[in-house]
Amino acid sequence: MPRSRARAPPKTTDEDEPRVRADALQPTLALAEAIYDQLDAGEIPRMRLPLRTKQNLSFQARDGVWKLGRQLGTRSARKLDGALMLLRTFYLVDFINEMARDKKTSTLRELYYISEAWEEAKFHSEDESNLLIEDLEVLCTRLREDFRLHPEENGASVIGDLTIRERNRKGIVKTINCRDDVGDGGYSLPFNVEKEKIEFVSTKAKFVIAIECGGMVDRLAENGFDEEHEAILLHLKGQPARSTRRFLRRVTEELKLPVVVFTDGDPWSFRIYASVAYGAIKTAHLSSYLATPSAEFLGVTASDIENYNLPSDHLSEQDIRALQAELTDPRFGTPDWRAEIELMLKNGKKAEQQSLAKYGLNYVTEHYLPEKLTEMGIL
Amino acid sequence: MAPPPTIAQQLAAKQREISVAEFFERNRQILGFDNPQRSLLTTVKEATDNGLDACEEAGILPEILVEISKEGEDRVHVSVEDNGPGILRKEIPNVFARLLYGSRFHSNRQARGQQGIGISAAVLYANLTTARPAKITSKVEEEEAAHVLDLFIDTQKNQPRVASEDVVLWDRPHGTKIELVLKARYVRGRQSPYEYLRGTAIVNPHARIVLVEPDGTRVTFERATEECPPIAKETLPHPYGLELGELGYHLKGTKRPTCVEFLTKDLQGVSPRAAKEVLVAANLKASTPPGSVQGEAQERLLTALRGVPLVAPSADGLSPIGAMLIKRGLRNVLGEVRPDFFAPPVSRPAKVRGGFPFMVEVGLVYGGALPADQPIQILRFANRVPLLFQQGACAITNAISNMDWRRYGLDQKSGSGLPSGPALLLVHVASTKIPFTSEAKEAIAEDPEIDRELTLALQGAARHLRTHLSRRTRRDLASEKFAIILKILPKLAEKTSHLVGKPIPDLIPVITRIMDVVNVETSVTSAAEGVRVPVEITNYTPRARVLELFVELPAELLAHATLEPAPDGTEAALGRAWWTLPKLAPSGRTHVELRFPPRTDAEANDFDWYVAGIDEAHLLGADPLPGDWEVRLPRTIVEAAEAAAEEARAPGAGEEEVDYDAAESSASAAEDD
Repeated sequence: MPRSRARAPPKTTDEDEPRVRADALQPTLALAEAIYDQLDAGEIPRMRLPLRTKQNLSFQARDGVWKLGRQLGTRSARKLDGALMLLRTFYLVDFINEMARDKKTSTLRELYYISEAWEEAKFHSEDESNLLIEDLEVLCTRLREDFRLHPEENGASVIGDLTIRERNRKGIVKTINCRDDVGDGGYSLPFNVEKEKIEFVSTKAKFVIAIECGGMVDRLAENGFDEEHEAILLHLKGQPARSTRRFLRRVTEELKLPVVVFTDGDPWSFRIYASVAYGAIKTAHLSSYLATPSAEFLGVTASDIENYNLPSDHLSEQDIRALQAELTDPRFGTPDWRAEIELMLKNGKKAEQQSLAKYGLNYVTEHYLPEKLTEMGIL
Repeated sequence: MAPPPTIAQQLAAKQREISVAEFFERNRQILGFDNPQRSLLTTVKEATDNGLDACEEAGILPEILVEISKEGEDRVHVSVEDNGPGILRKEIPNVFARLLYGSRFHSNRQARGQQGIGISAAVLYANLTTARPAKITSKVEEEEAAHVLDLFIDTQKNQPRVASEDVVLWDRPHGTKIELVLKARYVRGRQSPYEYLRGTAIVNPHARIVLVEPDGTRVTFERATEECPPIAKETLPHPYGLELGELGYHLKGTKRPTCVEFLTKDLQGVSPRAAKEVLVAANLKASTPPGSVQGEAQERLLTALRGVPLVAPSADGLSPIGAMLIKRGLRNVLGEVRPDFFAPPVSRPAKVRGGFPFMVEVGLVYGGALPADQPIQILRFANRVPLLFQQGACAITNAISNMDWRRYGLDQKSGSGLPSGPALLLVHVASTKIPFTSEAKEAIAEDPEIDRELTLALQGAARHLRTHLSRRTRRDLASEKFAIILKILPKLAEKTSHLVGKPIPDLIPVITRIMDVVNVETSVTSAAEGVRVPVEITNYTPRARVLELFVELPAELLAHATLEPAPDGTEAALGRAWWTLPKLAPSGRTHVELRFPPRTDAEANDFDWYVAGIDEAHLLGADPLPGDWEVRLPRTIVEAAEAAAEEARAPGAGEEEVDYDAAESSASAAEDD
């Protein structure tokens, strides 16, 4: 079975780490200035941005994460798409400046609807607006929160013996134990998980297990896995949100807890792990802030499907294309990952984590996880 | 006492004439009566073809009315009426109720029917399946009334039997109507009478064809031209195409007194000198009476004829549709599809195979409501008759499949097989003798010479398609650029000016840099005062331009055109005119206009626009002047053209940068929050 890169959690350096700053407006105006000067000089307006493609990921040994490389792309008004994105950029900058003046914030979804009034510059999908915000983050080296833009509350839920102190909307500080003070749904992470919002108080847990599906989180909680093995359960909810990844990063950094990732056994789950551990392509500019390089992949691995004889599905054409794409993704460039991906391609099978229920409801907590965790040296 | 019968005599005693009914039964398939659906189509087809042939021979614009109605569970009543010259009373029984009777079998020219089986076979089929007679109504112009005959075929003797006869008044000057009741089934769709008549209407735009379907639906294919196609002349047989038996038939039947006269006057392509050479080679005297050339001498004569160079067979016997009528026919019938593009039809010059002339014509239509994700539609025609069956076995289909259509802008897996795309191909092969794969005449057989011509004609049409598609791509690119400069750029300037608190800058320099083209915009508008073709030339490049504009249009159109301003040169015979345009500053614009009398039949496709003084990459809506024009250009234009070419070659002209918004972003859309 593949082992992820086992590395000591690196310290983030201050200059690398974007923080919420009050001076977010100035760089946005500098962008407007640059375009204005080009227009005034009779030049075709353009901007240069680092390419956020897998080909432009570069491994930062110091941080143990994959960050944006040096390849630049040009967004130019010579092409319709480029011209539209430039125009959108300044509608967005205008909107950000307006919000700052009015002391308002907006959700990403609200921004998408705000753009209805931008005529031809309006966004056609939320993907488009999210991409542009990330572009602005890269160009201005600020976080979207600096631009008063935030996602809806879609953070992970946490169950386990972890006590935190959260400053809530009304400014009141609450101390919460994520096992004893919460309901069955666990503690739900807010979109802002920075220190000024959440402080870690104490924990008796020995490790964090980040889980793809809610059903599996419930199974572990019902079987008392967190208490028996002193674990913190974290529900990733598919591709984890930024706040989830930032939270994991802080847990490893500040509480020195190891993190294991437990997902389905399919190519998409490999990508979930990669974005947790190595950094996601779209947010590679924030990898040193969001990625948790010490996180290890637990399973379900391609060999688990064979070894545990799990009920499986055939790989779809899409799955096969995704696996082949991963073979050219530098984040999966290690011999372990290549072997894992090639094995899955060879067997042509994928399995859900809940397929372990084939052997009964307790099998996952009594056999599978203890075996795997022992093998990984965590138990 | 008579000697005992020989084996041959014994065999002869067993031999008897087979009845036409047996002949029909054995050949149902090749005659086109193997199932109820097909039997109806064949009947409609034979009757329609006869009607069209009759009209054409008489120089009458055809009106064909086909009415089909149900008569009981599996019976159909078919009536096909034409406005042809009519048939004399004494000929009616033989024409309709005797197999292998016809006037065209021995004539050497292109015609729809050839063997004289078709319509009688339909009559026989009706007689056999429903025991009902064929009712023929026919009137010739010279007579006051029409003859109406009920006919059966005597299947033992292959002779017509007139069951009843009448003379009636018919409110038409002339024409023929055949009515049959037969076991048949009406369907619409592929291989149906509807499809057949539609195809017929396309290649016979001079005909008006009406179909009344069993449910009362009336489909009318209006005529698209009032001109009859030229009548194919009857030509003499050419020796290269003669079989031995035919030669014997002609030698016996000729009225020429001598062989030399027979050779030079009854055959095609034999000059007196060639005749002499042939006779010497055949060891025959010039004065020999043709009737006395028999047996082995006939064979010698044929061999000699084939061994001597002769004048190639004449194409006079052919009746092509012609480029103009192919276009009209397609436009007329495909109107509801609204294609974007009708390629100028390709009509190849006549060629010869064996002793028979042939020619290939191709029409191509693209876009509109034609399905884009399916194989292209193919309309095959042989001597103006639609071929509906055996598409896969046809030389036309093979020629299409063997071409690499990807080069011309259609999809095609691995560069062979039927291409896909929103296209329709019309292919017509005309010949005094078409090599069919079988007597059913459903597909054209493979033949190297026909295949060569098919390929050349298809390539010609395909090149037009490629030009159209590349022009369209450039137009799309242009409309994208216009969207940038007209809608986006002004707003970008407004937004950034607002953010930095400065006045909006002059955008013309940026606009000309983005566009970097000279745009030639033309349109054709028709109004009561006349047809106008305004042309607007705009210099969207960052430099001043000196340009020469050229137009090429059909010479007969140019003859009726008023040009404004007056051109600096014309070549009336070639339909060409040109202007030296005033010097255009960046974003400068000038106009030219062509005006035609009201109702002139002109469309955008008729005009080809060319510009000199700038290279192709910086030209929109027009093409660079082709090299073969041989027009003497003014010095200023020559210099401008050289400068433009220099500019295009200059380093840094096409600075390569990665387009951020076209670069493949994250490996999966599902990644990230």
